[in-house]
Amino acid sequence: MINPGNALADGEFDIVKFLQRNCLDCHQGKEAAANYDFTKLQTKKDLIASPELLFEIRHAVSTSQMPPDEASELSSETRVQATQAIGHLLHHAIANGPAAGPAAIRRMTRFQYSNSVRDLLGLKVSVFSLPEQVAREYGNYYQPETGKIPDVVKVGNRALGKSQLIEPRLEGITPYPQDLRAEHGYDNQADQLSLSPILLEQFLELSQSIVNSSSFNAKTVGIWNDVFAAPETGDIETAIRDRLRPILQQAFRTKISEATLRRYSDYAASFIQEGTDFTTAMKATVGGILASPRFFYIQERPGDQFSLASRLSFFLWGSIPDLALIEAASKGALADPAILSSHVDRLLLDRRSKRFCDSFPSQWLQLETLISSEPDPNLFKQFYFLRYNGSMHMMIEPLLLFEAVLVEDKSILQFIQSDFSYRSVMLKTWYAQADKIQHTGPGAVDFQRVPITDMREGGLITNAAIMTMTSAPNHTKPISRGAWFATTMLHAPPKPPPADVPPIDRKANASDESLTIREQLATHRDSVNCAGCHKKIDPFGFALENYNPVGQWRDVYPNGRQVDSSGVLYNQHSFDDIVGLKKALLKEKVRFATGFTQHLMSFALGRKVTYHDTIAIEEIVQRTAADDFRLKAIIKNLVLSDAFIQPKRATTTASLDSSKDPS
Amino acid sequence: MIKSTRRQFLRGAAGTTMALPFLESVARAEPLTPQKRMAIYYVPMGVVRKGFFPGEEATVLPKFQGATTPAIGIERPVAIQDFENLTPTQSPLESLKHKVNFISGLDRTYKQGTDVHAQCGSCFLSSATLNSVTESAYPLDRTFDHIIADSIGRETPFSTLTLSCNSHKNNKESIYFDNISWYGTNHVTPSIRDVRQAYQRLFGTNKKGDLRDITDLVLDDAKELQRSLNRTDKNKFEEYFEGIRSLELQIERLEAMRTEIESANVALPTDSLLPRGEYIRTMGDLMVAAFQTGLTNVATLMIGPERWDTPYRFESLFDKPMSHHQMTHNPHKFVDQLLQIDKFYMEQYAYITQKMDSVIESDGSTLLDNTVFTYGSGLGDGTTHQYNDLPILIAGGANLGLAQGKHIHVADETPLANLFLTQAQAFGMKVDSFADSSSTITGLTA
Repeated sequence: MINPGNALADGEFDIVKFLQRNCLDCHQGKEAAANYDFTKLQTKKDLIASPELLFEIRHAVSTSQMPPDEASELSSETRVQATQAIGHLLHHAIANGPAAGPAAIRRMTRFQYSNSVRDLLGLKVSVFSLPEQVAREYGNYYQPETGKIPDVVKVGNRALGKSQLIEPRLEGITPYPQDLRAEHGYDNQADQLSLSPILLEQFLELSQSIVNSSSFNAKTVGIWNDVFAAPETGDIETAIRDRLRPILQQAFRTKISEATLRRYSDYAASFIQEGTDFTTAMKATVGGILASPRFFYIQERPGDQFSLASRLSFFLWGSIPDLALIEAASKGALADPAILSSHVDRLLLDRRSKRFCDSFPSQWLQLETLISSEPDPNLFKQFYFLRYNGSMHMMIEPLLLFEAVLVEDKSILQFIQSDFSYRSVMLKTWYAQADKIQHTGPGAVDFQRVPITDMREGGLITNAAIMTMTSAPNHTKPISRGAWFATTMLHAPPKPPPADVPPIDRKANASDESLTIREQLATHRDSVNCAGCHKKIDPFGFALENYNPVGQWRDVYPNGRQVDSSGVLYNQHSFDDIVGLKKALLKEKVRFATGFTQHLMSFALGRKVTYHDTIAIEEIVQRTAADDFRLKAIIKNLVLSDAFIQPKRATTTASLDSSKDPS
Repeated sequence: MIKSTRRQFLRGAAGTTMALPFLESVARAEPLTPQKRMAIYYVPMGVVRKGFFPGEEATVLPKFQGATTPAIGIERPVAIQDFENLTPTQSPLESLKHKVNFISGLDRTYKQGTDVHAQCGSCFLSSATLNSVTESAYPLDRTFDHIIADSIGRETPFSTLTLSCNSHKNNKESIYFDNISWYGTNHVTPSIRDVRQAYQRLFGTNKKGDLRDITDLVLDDAKELQRSLNRTDKNKFEEYFEGIRSLELQIERLEAMRTEIESANVALPTDSLLPRGEYIRTMGDLMVAAFQTGLTNVATLMIGPERWDTPYRFESLFDKPMSHHQMTHNPHKFVDQLLQIDKFYMEQYAYITQKMDSVIESDGSTLLDNTVFTYGSGLGDGTTHQYNDLPILIAGGANLGLAQGKHIHVADETPLANLFLTQAQAFGMKVDSFADSSSTITGLTA
């Protein structure tokens, strides 16, 4: 196994010669393959000056994608040596180059805003319902401090069961629209979150409608007595200041200047001067806090502990820090790794960590795609019941596995293969391909933890949710499945096809029903122009061909032909079917863990992960490898990394270089 | 020292006058000459060429092509002729053809590195010169609607109106598939997808004036925040001040226009979820009403998002939901359905155009005569994904000096931006280039 993180000295290995001998044939001049021109890479110095290219080369060489089979027969020993030599240069380049700048200032997503308002005010009801928060929890089953998800849990699907959006909430609230996902993945990415006049207007109206809601009162607002109830004794102006100071500090996540405090307390006082009662004055003032850009915007200040506290709470709670974190930040205590680490534990054991489970995994797995999957009702009649469909159950299964892996502190390798899964009665009969599928819902549905012994099931990849959402209504789409696999499981999304690819001559292939889909698609893998990318993604899709368009196992196609799901991973691990691919992936677990960590880091930092982050990622992977990559350990090591802590040091002002690498 | 209103108080407390310009009440005098307006009708997924481009009726259907190599099209001479024989897809324009121009041969340049659908839609109105934009992989800069609004949208409550008929509930595609209007690189102008929301924004009677106490209060916060920002963040945070500024203007102007808006008597759409045709027509109605009442002079309507494979119900056409995008990849099987969709979208364009032509303005001309209403798609054909030979129609604009009833075929490799440059000049803007334009289009302005 190649350890991509090993920064060994390159010793005698001549990497420049290696690249010239093995790569230059195709990668030179104006017609260089994939636009990578190696002509100018004459010395190690040239290589160090191109860290992004080194990053790409190392990936291609270590995964045996380059040089391609036709061009060379590299011994695996040479490949390891080359990978290490490139890694060494890459580390050198990163260590001596500029660090990745912090994510840009951005407004909160509406998910973050809703959580933040709730936490700031101690609201006992929702601000508004969020369909993007797919799973609706019943009976408070999520108790992370117990270290266990119960064997039976009750869950509703908000995205697909509209009744699941009806919950106790403030009345008369109009939320702003759901945030679209970023080009490179998550809806919280700084370069994608912008504000327009229309959004600002909606947001200002929202902030006012919260404090003006008819149900905003002592029953719903946790901090009512501390903030809104009129003081019985003492000086009103002092009371206003004393009450506003902590709430301003928590809301704005920074030290509050006297000017700010005065601005808000004078604002409140101006109402009282007019004869308005205390509670109304405070509501108006808190309405101002909820409308302030210092609440609504997330700003990264390297070296600033409030900023670090905020980064941590938005990562794990999708919200502003609580008072304990704010206090630690104000004392400078988070500089101590032990204290920071204890806060990570605390946040993960708090029920608010459910919001991490409600935002990261569904976006990582692109589960929203399933909402609109419409399998052909003629072929898959039992997928539908009443006005609903099986996706309602399918979407929940991977989310519950994720929650269990987090809460029970399991290894992320469970995402490849787990020994249990959570299934509703419908899903049990679905996977068993029972004659009669037992539908329940659309309300809250019981999901039961079931043991998995057959490697064709379990994990995330082969979930009915994933298989259905990557299929057309009446046939599977191996390329879509392969692209999903490469993007989510390996953090290696395929690049868009280049403009100079000639059209494929599919001949009669596409419509010849006696062929398998693999045979129909053979032409584009044989074409030199297409093979480069498709060889990377198609094998994963073909490996999943045993799952029909609604995620049920099949050995033969409807046309009677046998399914062929064999393939090779990284030109090294041959497999016969999905079980073989899963086993191969478990052997390449460092790669899987690396990809997962990259996803998690992008979500945690609100920006795209770039080559700058290589060392940080490798360290996280190395530190968690011994214990088989437990999810909590990955989270903790991520938080303790410099990439997350962002100590104050000279950084380039080019904070985001996502434009340079549009993959 | 506390004054009687918070607004005055805050100004006093700050010790200085506000940095932002608060306009004096904008009393709108009855205009002697009608306002000039600009509207865009963006069609996703291209068209079936043989139904759209005259002279290509007999050509064979193209094969699927995932990239954007300049592709099919008929060689024809550069020419300006009367727009007479309408192709099947254009046929809904029959009664309007004396007020419509068809422009064939316009191209956009594809920039490597982003999805073809995402780029063809998001960059349709910008077409920035390759490599002039460094902060994004998209050649995307301030879009044409905003450029025009900088000129003719300065006094309306809303500088632009951005509408989209995307009813998809899933969050499948990124913002680049769903937005043609951008304030600038990485700064989207989000579109309103919900007809009732669009109505509320334009004709609703909520008291936005109440927001002003709050904007005054938080503006000082914004300034305090701004002082702590580095240069890049400072630039981005300008979006907040811009937002406050236009909100202030909007509130003032809406107040000044209250009576006019109420007397316009526009009805609240009965339902947010409308069948596809009615959906587009309702958005069109709101757009025309917004022009008529003077709420805005610039509007874009994206009648559906790019790609977004999710099937739609084209209620009057097919008995089950169909994915326009997927069908474009298999024209041999779905050519009839695709031609039906192209024509269906053209019918909605004709409806809105007709509606504009039925509104009589103060000088006796019609609203259409004072509006340049462009129909266009970012793909020359949905199957080939080509960026050349885009299907473009221009309706109206007689009072801006636009030719009427012409088919103009331009030389090979004429950038789409030439069309926008020509329009900008027709709107009286003193500009000699826009985005990657090379010149203006001969024959479009009379």
